[in-house]
Amino acid sequence: MAEPGKVKGPMKLAQNACRTKQLLSGATLVGLAWLSLASSYAQQPAAVPNPPLAKDPGPFLPARPPAEGRGPRPVAGPAPHFPDGRPDFGGDGAWFPGFNGNLAETTWKGVKSADTHVDVPFLPWTLKTYNERVENLAKDDPEAKCLPVGVPRFMFDPYAFQMIQTRNQVVFVFEGDNYLWRVVNLDPAGTHPKNLKPAWLGDAVGHYEGDTLVVDVTGFNGLAWLDQAGHATSDKLHLTERYTRTDSLTLKYEVTIDDPGAYSKPWTASNTVRWRPGLELMENICQENEKSSIHMIGNAEPEKK
Amino acid sequence: MKYCYFLAALAVVHAQGQIPRLADGNPDLGADGVWLPLHVADLAPKADVPFQAWAKLKFQENSAMKRNETDLRCLPPGVPRITLMPRPFEIVQTSNRILFLYEGGGHVFRQVWMDGRAHPKDPNPDWLGHSIGHWEGEVLVVDSVGFNDMTWLDDAGHPHTERLHVSERYARTGPLTMKYDVVIDDPGAYSRPWMSSSSLSFRRGEKLAEDICLDRISK
Repeated sequence: MAEPGKVKGPMKLAQNACRTKQLLSGATLVGLAWLSLASSYAQQPAAVPNPPLAKDPGPFLPARPPAEGRGPRPVAGPAPHFPDGRPDFGGDGAWFPGFNGNLAETTWKGVKSADTHVDVPFLPWTLKTYNERVENLAKDDPEAKCLPVGVPRFMFDPYAFQMIQTRNQVVFVFEGDNYLWRVVNLDPAGTHPKNLKPAWLGDAVGHYEGDTLVVDVTGFNGLAWLDQAGHATSDKLHLTERYTRTDSLTLKYEVTIDDPGAYSKPWTASNTVRWRPGLELMENICQENEKSSIHMIGNAEPEKK
Repeated sequence: MKYCYFLAALAVVHAQGQIPRLADGNPDLGADGVWLPLHVADLAPKADVPFQAWAKLKFQENSAMKRNETDLRCLPPGVPRITLMPRPFEIVQTSNRILFLYEGGGHVFRQVWMDGRAHPKDPNPDWLGHSIGHWEGEVLVVDSVGFNDMTWLDDAGHPHTERLHVSERYARTGPLTMKYDVVIDDPGAYSRPWMSSSSLSFRRGEKLAEDICLDRISK
């Protein structure tokens, strides 16, 4: 019996022929696949140049006169830490992001927005949605219907929040929306429960990397807007958030948005949030007297009465 | 030898009966789980509630309505009703403040100040009030004022005014049990303070789910 792997004579010829045929058919398959892909791309609107990004609609409030009667700005000290070395994101006061309407622009509607400009890797549908939302003045903004702004938008929205740290959790409490809470479970392994129910705030697990709290969030419902401007999300959204208190008054925030259902590659937005010493959260129930959303008609003509 | 087994068994039983504690010695009301209240639809099923005349009429009107209009609008259920509904909540303790995070009632929270402060002189009328707390031995005592008059005290529809003053006592009686006593003091609706009691069970290892009430009505 011939040794395994050694084939002689006509058998070898036949085998070589087979291999060649296999190679050929392989090449044919690849070629066909390429052709079909190329033709399908050719049918995609991507062949048409992308429409330009919708422009900043400009200031929506008149410029404020310089503030009078405000005390001197508090002086920043070193970032506080717990005795065990963990960074302390709390204290007597609250974080207040201010209005930062666009995650990807440094100014939006006439005021400072995100820390850096990002060329957002839109998929065609998210570019179209974004442009529509900018142009129709965000008339369908879920926040206007008192729904949660979700993550990461709360870090860009003008509502105070606090971070409360226990041994196994970081709890965020928000004055905005409907006086919501958000729990980040600390787990260095970063494991999410299976079969997450789609949610506005997602499922968050975190750990400390030196002075930075790193939070991994998934399990989103795809309904939240990333910002007031209208960057959309899908239910494939996966966020990596990094919170670093660089001094007693400053919280640096970086968020990587990895959403293959909405963007062609991950992108990172950032913001700097100031500490307001002595600020406490008031109860704020958005839908208690909500009368605004019916007036949000975008660019439509107001109804004559 | 058999005494050893007996003592070991006793030790185990004893350990199970112990309530968890924080480093400061106070009972740990959180510790990796959530509290599920017993559903109490009526704070005073048999008791003789010291109604003022208008409050009795209002109660009868509310009871006949069955559905609370503020529930339909996803507004917070108020106090103590939020602790009488069969929806879990979590207690987060820090040195100066205790947070109550509620799954039901619109994903809201309460903050109970433990730093010795007093209530504000003229509090905003809130859905969940302004709360300060202290420990009386093993019992967390929460004192709340500053309520609006739009909530009901319970599903049955006991009304209240903005003068409502609620005193709650949370006593962890075991690893899995809590006794809840509440005193309703509202000189605008009742002729004297009256009290009710309930109980809660601890669900170890469970977490709160996200439930956004408005999802069900805003689409």
